[in-house]
Amino acid sequence: MSVIPEIKFKELLEEEKFNLPVRFVSENPGEYSGNFPVVVKISSEKIVHKTEAGAVITDIKSREELIKTYKDMSRKFPGETIYVEEMAKRGTEIIIGMINDPSFGKMILLGIGGFFSELINDVTFKKVPIDIFDAEDMISELKYSRLLDGYRGFKASKDIVKELLLKVSDFGLRTEFSQIDLNPVFLYEDHYLIVDAKMIV
Amino acid sequence: MTKLDIFNVKTVTIVGVSREQGKIGNIILSNLLKNFNGRIFLVHPTADQIQGIKCYKNVELLPEPPDLAVVSLPASKAVGAIRSLAIRGCRICIPVAGGFGESGEKGKQLEGEMKDIASQYGMRIIGPNTVGIIVPRIGLNTALTTGEKTQFPSDGHIGFISQSGALGLLAMDEFSNMNVGFSAFLSLGNEVDVDETDALIVLGEDKSTSSISLYLEKLGRVEEFLNQARNISKHKGIVVLKGGQTEAGNRATALHTGSLFRTGFSMKSLFRQYGIIPATDELELMDYSIALSYGKPVFGNRVAVITSAGGVGVTSSDILESHGFRVPKVSESLRIKIAEDIADIGSSANPIDLTAEATDEQYEKVMSNINESDEFDSMLVFVLFQTQGVTENIIGFLQDFNKGNNKPIVVGTIGGRYAMDGLRKMISAGIPTYPSISRSVKALSALRERGLFLRRYLNERHT
Repeated sequence: MSVIPEIKFKELLEEEKFNLPVRFVSENPGEYSGNFPVVVKISSEKIVHKTEAGAVITDIKSREELIKTYKDMSRKFPGETIYVEEMAKRGTEIIIGMINDPSFGKMILLGIGGFFSELINDVTFKKVPIDIFDAEDMISELKYSRLLDGYRGFKASKDIVKELLLKVSDFGLRTEFSQIDLNPVFLYEDHYLIVDAKMIV
Repeated sequence: MTKLDIFNVKTVTIVGVSREQGKIGNIILSNLLKNFNGRIFLVHPTADQIQGIKCYKNVELLPEPPDLAVVSLPASKAVGAIRSLAIRGCRICIPVAGGFGESGEKGKQLEGEMKDIASQYGMRIIGPNTVGIIVPRIGLNTALTTGEKTQFPSDGHIGFISQSGALGLLAMDEFSNMNVGFSAFLSLGNEVDVDETDALIVLGEDKSTSSISLYLEKLGRVEEFLNQARNISKHKGIVVLKGGQTEAGNRATALHTGSLFRTGFSMKSLFRQYGIIPATDELELMDYSIALSYGKPVFGNRVAVITSAGGVGVTSSDILESHGFRVPKVSESLRIKIAEDIADIGSSANPIDLTAEATDEQYEKVMSNINESDEFDSMLVFVLFQTQGVTENIIGFLQDFNKGNNKPIVVGTIGGRYAMDGLRKMISAGIPTYPSISRSVKALSALRERGLFLRRYLNERHT
């Protein structure tokens, strides 16, 4: 089993026309000309749990801060690729994933993400490929599916979740993988962003 | 692979038949003699005849190849007999004895030999370690249990497949007690050849089977099973009681999805995708099978509750709502219509309470009015025989209503011997009827599940 370098997987997702935050990959952070705040991340085949390893620094507000963070990161993770992403505006968090199981085959996951996600463990799986009705069922099978209509200032849309599930299922059908995490995915009123993505093969 | 054809068995032989009452080989013969429409040959090394049926010394001497053979011999002797039967041209073989794969290496090896025989000669083997099969339509009954202690099913429309012999027989007894008939009962045993997918296909193709009920502990060919289930469930309902843990194989938890798969995967959600209604115990298995076989799919959440007991109405509304149904008030125009037909003290809103003054005619009028309105997707009707004016005469109306092109109904009836007599009569009339509020609500839920699955094909037809 091996981890696909994050940048590579994110590029693949973009080729497939998934929405991800704007990314900037360069050894020279001084050249970054996008918006702030940003997030600095390490793309590594060795590090799976980036946050725990300190390989993600969020909420960087200025060029100076960015250059300093780059320096710190390259010292801490020598030889690894460092990259910058525009920090996504907070949305309703979900997790979408896929797993290739020896007895069931390729399965797609939808779950409620965010702070309480592990506590509530609100997830559902279907076999790939799914159709629009399965996508609908996946949403309605979640105990907290109401969140996906938007809740307390966080907007969201079930239609967008359905479309995204179908698109992920279709991608999974054509792709060889052991596991895929799209986690978190932020939902907004009329779009979504895959904030982080990992694949192992 | 040869087709497994359990519905066209004209000749049966028993190898290992016994003269002694109470012995397995004798019980099988007695069961078979009761109703079997075809001819029976017996194989016995010394007897000339048993219970008036001629015996042959060995399989080779049989006058013709049997369609089906029951082999009631211990594991060590069974394989030889099975081979002779295959060579002789027998189509289906049922070795009933245990002592095979479940008892160790030697047994596994014998099973391997049986598997080879099946594929080499194209004879289908059901078992070993099975309690047998029952096909009431042709009077075929190879069960290992006597009719004195177990009630055998009459001919009907539910096909039953079980990986557990004992649980299969218990459920069968329960079904039969409710007057529910079977198109077939298959106990699969150790599945050296015929597995749950084969059995599902056979019952899927059978025109007379209108719902299929399975007790499973393991799923061999998962993909094949699910795909077959999905095809079949376009036409008939499938209910599965899955015992034991699910064998999710991918244990890697490197990513979040992997650990969630271990903790959060449910067969229920997967079954649903393939049109299978999950049951969590033997009663649900039976209740849902009856609902799917006798009732109609429900396409929507609005339920009209009709009762002659206010408390039953209130309680069922609560349970309905906890199952995701709604019990909306009837419109004013419909309410006025209903009020004309029922007692002044009754409630014409919803639940519709006909009160102790309820009569069969009132039920008929109210149900017809609701049916003609477009305000409800299904009706939950409580036929409470303790009510003076509610009699068995209502059964004919309910039967026609249920058969006709009307809104789906589920009937509940509560009480003791008299009520249960009525319940059996309603089931015999093909009306999905249940002896409690919550069982009737859950049965309605199963029909709603079926409607949810079928919604994909309704749309297909429209576009």
